[in-house]
Amino acid sequence: MLRYPLGKQGEIMAQITVYHARNIITMDKNQPNATHVAVRDGRILAVGGADCADQWGPVTHDSTFADAVLMPGFVEGHCHMMSGFIWDYAYAGYHDRIDPDGKLWRGKTDIETVITDMRAYANSMPDDEPLLTWGFDPIFLQSERLNRHHLDQISSTRPVAFLFSSGHLMCVNSVVLDMVGYDAATNVEGVMKGADGAPNGELQEMAAMFPVMRRLGMDYRTKAHQEKYIHQFAKVCVRAGVTTATDLFATITDQGLAELKRVTAQPSYPVRIVPTIAAMNAAPEEIAAQAHAVAAHSHDKLRLGAVKLMTDGSIQGWSARVRAPGYVGGQPNGLWNTPPETIFALCEVMQRERVQMHAHTNGDEASEVTLNAIEAAARKHPWPGARHVLQHAQMMEGGLFRRAAELGVCVNLFVNHIWYFGDQHAALTIGEDRAARMDGCRSALDAGVAMAIHSDAPVTPMGPLFTASCAVNRKTMSGRVLGPAQRITLDEALRAITLGAAYTLKMDAEVGSIEAGKRADFAVLGQDPTAIDPAHLADVPVLGTVTGGHVTLL
Amino acid sequence: MSVLPRLPLTVIGGYLGAGKTTLLNRLLSEPHGQKIMVMVNDFGAINIDAALIAQADGDTISLTNGCVCCTMGNDLFMALGDALDRCPRPDHLVIEASGISDPAKIAMAARAEPDMAYGGIAVVVDGQNWPKLADDPLIGAQMRGQVQVADVLLVSKTGGMVPPSLAVRLAALSRAPLMDLADLPQVAPVLLGGVAPAPQPGALPGGMAAHPAYVGWSHQGPEQFERRTLEALLAARPAGIYRLKGHVLSPDGALEVHVVGPTVDIKPAQSDSTRMVAIGLASQINRETIAAWWASAAA
Repeated sequence: MLRYPLGKQGEIMAQITVYHARNIITMDKNQPNATHVAVRDGRILAVGGADCADQWGPVTHDSTFADAVLMPGFVEGHCHMMSGFIWDYAYAGYHDRIDPDGKLWRGKTDIETVITDMRAYANSMPDDEPLLTWGFDPIFLQSERLNRHHLDQISSTRPVAFLFSSGHLMCVNSVVLDMVGYDAATNVEGVMKGADGAPNGELQEMAAMFPVMRRLGMDYRTKAHQEKYIHQFAKVCVRAGVTTATDLFATITDQGLAELKRVTAQPSYPVRIVPTIAAMNAAPEEIAAQAHAVAAHSHDKLRLGAVKLMTDGSIQGWSARVRAPGYVGGQPNGLWNTPPETIFALCEVMQRERVQMHAHTNGDEASEVTLNAIEAAARKHPWPGARHVLQHAQMMEGGLFRRAAELGVCVNLFVNHIWYFGDQHAALTIGEDRAARMDGCRSALDAGVAMAIHSDAPVTPMGPLFTASCAVNRKTMSGRVLGPAQRITLDEALRAITLGAAYTLKMDAEVGSIEAGKRADFAVLGQDPTAIDPAHLADVPVLGTVTGGHVTLL
Repeated sequence: MSVLPRLPLTVIGGYLGAGKTTLLNRLLSEPHGQKIMVMVNDFGAINIDAALIAQADGDTISLTNGCVCCTMGNDLFMALGDALDRCPRPDHLVIEASGISDPAKIAMAARAEPDMAYGGIAVVVDGQNWPKLADDPLIGAQMRGQVQVADVLLVSKTGGMVPPSLAVRLAALSRAPLMDLADLPQVAPVLLGGVAPAPQPGALPGGMAAHPAYVGWSHQGPEQFERRTLEALLAARPAGIYRLKGHVLSPDGALEVHVVGPTVDIKPAQSDSTRMVAIGLASQINRETIAAWWASAAA
């Protein structure tokens, strides 16, 4: 007998769509694999075979994904919406990279290619426009260091500025040097000079870069939350199979918030955005108050209310705060961006005001101080379920992981570093022993810490399958396996990029697995990551996403 | 070159609780006659006398004396750009660096940016707690680093005298002049420069009240110096001058000079004469010494 699907008031209930897929990897242990998933009203209704939703009424079968594999939509727990607008600049980096529109930018592995490619790009631009590039990192090039003479070969008439991937350095051409008046007489720290005593084009740190940025319009303050770039960011996410993504050090203005709310609420907008407020440059009470105020604007696809602390610097910049035995080259210990006293004050107020914290801690000393601060705060203001997260946490070892577990603190490890910077860490920053255990996924899981892994895009490209591959394989760019004992299984890695990351955002009851009641958020894959050699995990093609039942295909 | 005068930038460094905010409040309420823009991390700590406030909105407080106080947000350098673009441009920009930060990283922008002038780094040293902070295993290096980059060291909470042991430690790290904040009748001359000396004909620009605690010297003349000669002359300046600024004619065009404590900054400028102003503490230097130094070079 046909039952009419009528709601309480007699209205016809939403349509049920049953998607068929080659395989559905659910990350739900009740039913790890399936061939069909039924979706109604943006949520998962049933999972199983072709008849899984028959008891719910008439269904429409959809074979869009018949040749594809579905996974829960990936969750990127640490990235930045800058990943969207950075593509306004030309990409000049060492590794191949794909832009939001799917164009492949080939990696430039020597200076000649950098010059050739960028000159070709510049020639396609209007004459008076400056050429701004991003992604260049001198650490990967064996050749002579990039200088103004190279950039003068790209153009001697238009301003050319290369922003290095660390964000702390740039190289500019002679046109730009003239524009800001840097010459042999300039005596400014950070305006680097060549053997001839004239500026060689390299500018280090913001003070030296600022006059250039000011004149070339490189102001990022409000860009990330402009409509155009909110959409651009979504494209980056869809290409990576990501349906939930953070903006993990956000400056939220009234206008930016209004735009975020409006754009993400559009039914076709394919990502749940989780911005966390930068907990800097204001009193802790004020930051907590802003977190509460913006939290009230949350909706299905916009989650506000958490904050981000910035405790130390970076390991490869020797500015992370590390414990003994320090840096292998004898460099002085790194810098606090927030003094420990203020870390304690922030933790106490956030804990008291029930504001979840994500804390950037690269070095192990920064992780330890932050754990101390969270412990002290938790004694004063118990909050079971706070789920504060140590972000990056790259140098945590067994002891710190066990403390994190005791305190209910999560970690989100920057495991992409193993591939991108692992060789450098072993040779130049923290040495073999600690490089082998860094981003220690195995130790974290063994200690019982809730764990996610991340890209920090645009620092490294967003791509949870690549990130999972780093955790599973721990291969570096040179091909060595760095710290084989810290490898985790494929299933553990896939969990980290779905449920694991969702847990750190307190969204695990809602997304991160394919099971009845959860939001219909899927990554659509061209290959089954569980059916291939894990060495090739990063090569699994992403075909698109489904977000709240809305399909976005590439 | 910009047609607007350069915007001088002074950076106030020092750890949490050292007294940076108290110093800024003092500065804002003094009769210095300048339209200062003060940028702070947050208004929470600053407590401007209500009688001075003309208008307050969101992130800016306008004062009745023409000064403004605003928050800098999360991008300090872009906030510098806003200050430069502000119409009318302020006479002087003063930035309160956050407690742990390196004030030199901010102040260097004034040397790099063609539209700014170097106003120096004043580091407030907590007369009671600094030695302990400087030995702290976590933040000691950053505390000592602040002192190392200072152009002027201002000691707070001394209770009448800078402890000799503190003075010795600071002197080992820094050549910057050391002053007890309690001894300073006004802070504007130290932070901004441009104070007028004791009343005399042809008083200096700035229009500030003269104060006997300070020595001012000014000079105008036709003399020219090669840049290198000028640098040597400035390097040999008498101790006790804590600020020196002006324009100097040179064969390759005029130069703008800003000297604060141990730091010398020189930029190209336009001028039809050599004009210099120097300031020191009356307890450490007199006008004759300064005049003799300059005259020796001009001769």
